Amino acid sequence: MASSQDSLIEELQNFMDGDLERFQSLGKKIIKDFKRQQRIMEQSDRRQRKEYDQLQEKLLEVEALNDEIEATQKEVVLTMGAIGESRSKETGNHVKRVAGYSKILALAYGMDGSEAEMLKQASPMHDIGKIAIPDAILNKPAKLTEDEYMIMEEHAKLGYEMLQHSKRPLLLTAATVAYEHHEKYDGTGYPQGLKGEDIHIYGRITAIADVFDALGSDRVYKKAWEDARIFDLFRSERGKHFDPKLVDLFFDNIEEIMSVRDAYKDILG
Amino acid sequence: MENLHIEETKYTPEINLNAEKGLLSFSGKSYPENTFDFYQPVIEWINTYFAEKGQKKTLIDMDIIYFNSSSSKLFFDFFDILEEAHEDGKEVTVRWLYDAENENALEAGEDFKEDFESLDFNLIEK
Repeated sequence: MASSQDSLIEELQNFMDGDLERFQSLGKKIIKDFKRQQRIMEQSDRRQRKEYDQLQEKLLEVEALNDEIEATQKEVVLTMGAIGESRSKETGNHVKRVAGYSKILALAYGMDGSEAEMLKQASPMHDIGKIAIPDAILNKPAKLTEDEYMIMEEHAKLGYEMLQHSKRPLLLTAATVAYEHHEKYDGTGYPQGLKGEDIHIYGRITAIADVFDALGSDRVYKKAWEDARIFDLFRSERGKHFDPKLVDLFFDNIEEIMSVRDAYKDILG
Repeated sequence: MENLHIEETKYTPEINLNAEKGLLSFSGKSYPENTFDFYQPVIEWINTYFAEKGQKKTLIDMDIIYFNSSSSKLFFDFFDILEEAHEDGKEVTVRWLYDAENENALEAGEDFKEDFESLDFNLIEK
């Protein structure tokens, strides 16, 4: 980079055949420039350190705000899920367990960490459509009639309709989960009767996570099943209700799944 | 003498040098990739401007938020020219504009003011 120092050097060279007066004047200029360089460095260093501190401070603020947004989002989503569940007298822990199982299966399936985490956060909303189902049907302590069953089944589409207008990836994931978590791999599920891999992976994962948890919990109309009975059902529903690959991954990761179940046990009151 | 106008970019300030009005203004950030090359036409213009005789008052508005070390060096050189013009009997006023919330811009202005005592150097809050 050319600079004012270049012209000083040039002047110094000219000085070779100059006189004493010019030497003194040039000497003064050079000394001034050297002192100035030092001063500029000191000032710049001080300024830059301050700017750096301010940037760090702002970055910490942004990070704190980001954590706050994420925490709020998680809480709102869990609360929304729990609202859906509470209407059917299920516990808030059900949605947490389904979330945990979903992430384990998603990672085992090969989904990347951030997408698996998003599915985990979205899955608690799978039954949000239930808030639009009448209590009499939702909490009926007996088998539903065919008509009642048809109304009950609407919760999948209702949940989808509630969430699909969002532009947020998390809520769109939740919309897919709500819509497709009652689809069955062999095409006999609802509401669309989708088959095989036409069912979104989010739907296939949440289906297995939701059923595993529902069977293992007490409900108004039934007692919790023994694990062995659930496992038998899963084996027999491999490729029927459930994606066969996911059933295999479920058994491959059973220890981790059980530790999620233990961590979010229902506390009986 | 023709005016010199340089548009603002992400790293360089907007520069307006107007001989007729005697107004030289700089506004924005100063992080040029090659600071000396960037400011060379500016310094040349200013040297030519002050070499001419009979101009009225000259007002310099510096509204520089952030600048790198080599810009700092160039501002020193620039203020040197202003100081010489002042010693030459020309009327020169510098207004260093800063935002109340930008402590750094104020401090930088204070540093320059301290270094160029003979200049009419004013710190002005925007």
